Amino acid sequence: MKNLLEFLLKHFHWFLFVILETISVVLLFQYNSYQNSVWFSTANVVVGKFYEWNSAVESFFSLTKVNEDLTLRNFYLERQVTQLRRLYGEATEDLSVKERQELEFLSQYKLIPAKVVTNELHRANNLITINKGESDGVKEGMGVACGKGVVGVVYSTSAHYAIVIPVLNVNSSRISCAIRGHGYFGVLRWDGKDAGIAYVEDIPRHARFKRGDWVETNGYSSIFPAGVLVGQIKEVYNSRDGLSYRLQVRLTTDFGNLRDVVVISDNTIAERLRIMQEARDSLRIKN
Amino acid sequence: MTIDLLKRAGWFIVFVLVQAMVLGRIHLFNCATPLLYVYFVTSFPRNYPKWGILLWSFLLGLLIDTFSNTPGLASASLTLVAAVQPYYFELFVPRDSVDDLKPAMSTLGPLKYTYYIVVLVVLYCLVFYSLELFNFFNWTQWASCVGGSALITLLLIYTFEIAKNK
Repeated sequence: MKNLLEFLLKHFHWFLFVILETISVVLLFQYNSYQNSVWFSTANVVVGKFYEWNSAVESFFSLTKVNEDLTLRNFYLERQVTQLRRLYGEATEDLSVKERQELEFLSQYKLIPAKVVTNELHRANNLITINKGESDGVKEGMGVACGKGVVGVVYSTSAHYAIVIPVLNVNSSRISCAIRGHGYFGVLRWDGKDAGIAYVEDIPRHARFKRGDWVETNGYSSIFPAGVLVGQIKEVYNSRDGLSYRLQVRLTTDFGNLRDVVVISDNTIAERLRIMQEARDSLRIKN
Repeated sequence: MTIDLLKRAGWFIVFVLVQAMVLGRIHLFNCATPLLYVYFVTSFPRNYPKWGILLWSFLLGLLIDTFSNTPGLASASLTLVAAVQPYYFELFVPRDSVDDLKPAMSTLGPLKYTYYIVVLVVLYCLVFYSLELFNFFNWTQWASCVGGSALITLLLIYTFEIAKNK
């Protein structure tokens, strides 16, 4: 206590100095309109700048979540647009009833948002790893899409990760797809060259379509629901045996810039697989 | 002690009145204003209580501000100079000097006194005009104000010192 008092007494003039300067500065900024305004505007600029940085940083960190939500939303809306377009085309019956049916149909799919952990483009048989696995409900054979279009099919899963065979896999990727509005279907394959180009094979010769038509999944495979965007027809070739068309398709999915994806979990997939298996087995027995 | 106090109070009033009536109205070339009252702060002797210097200077600044209608401006700058003065003066004190040595041309000699007074006056003008203009966009005006005022103030102080010696 004594030391403290001594210390205070010894340095009393410094405290006095601070007090007097504070009084002066307060007077200066309080009663001089010029200094006051300069001070005020400078302080405003500084504070504004600080808040600007702060919000920029904050918004950057919330972008991840925003991105995820947008991917989900985009996928959902894309699907809905497709359904509604088809409904519009078939607008002969009572619309509201069909719409409700379609929306119910949509809700049978569960969407699991995931992030791409590793991605490759330059091999013939590319693979993608995503950060969701069995514990999140991801199973083998589920479809994977992103906001722009189809990505691939889950090949194997661990507890927290899954390997996806993307469209860009020469040997293993066979996604069933169809030409929008016409319904002719074929198989999507990749030739291992350009990551933005794939081919739809086995389109029948009598199919009528034109360049620029959209290709989407047809929903036969039980992996993807109908209407997930695949790409746009760029060129039309004859197949090697001349029995069908081979369509060159520009993929809507940018595999070089893939971050947020959704795994499409179809509740009916098990049932559909089981019945298909049963049918195959019974046919084999007959043969 | 009482006499010293009265004398100081007398000088105090004189500096305030001179500044308020005469010197504060001079704006040579629209920039140089004599700020003679800083001489009051520079003339405190060695070992004068530091809080006393601070209080005197603050009050002087406050009064000057009252007359020139710039609250806080001169008091802030003068208080700063008053805080520096005792420490700075200590550097110039000869080894075998009296305890209450006064900073003057006669006690320090012209050269040392010049070092002493120029730095304090320039410091004062620097702080004063920085606070008054409060931005450095117009830095030529700021520099000419600091330089001009310091020059004319120093001129007056030298006149004063020389007159005092005779």
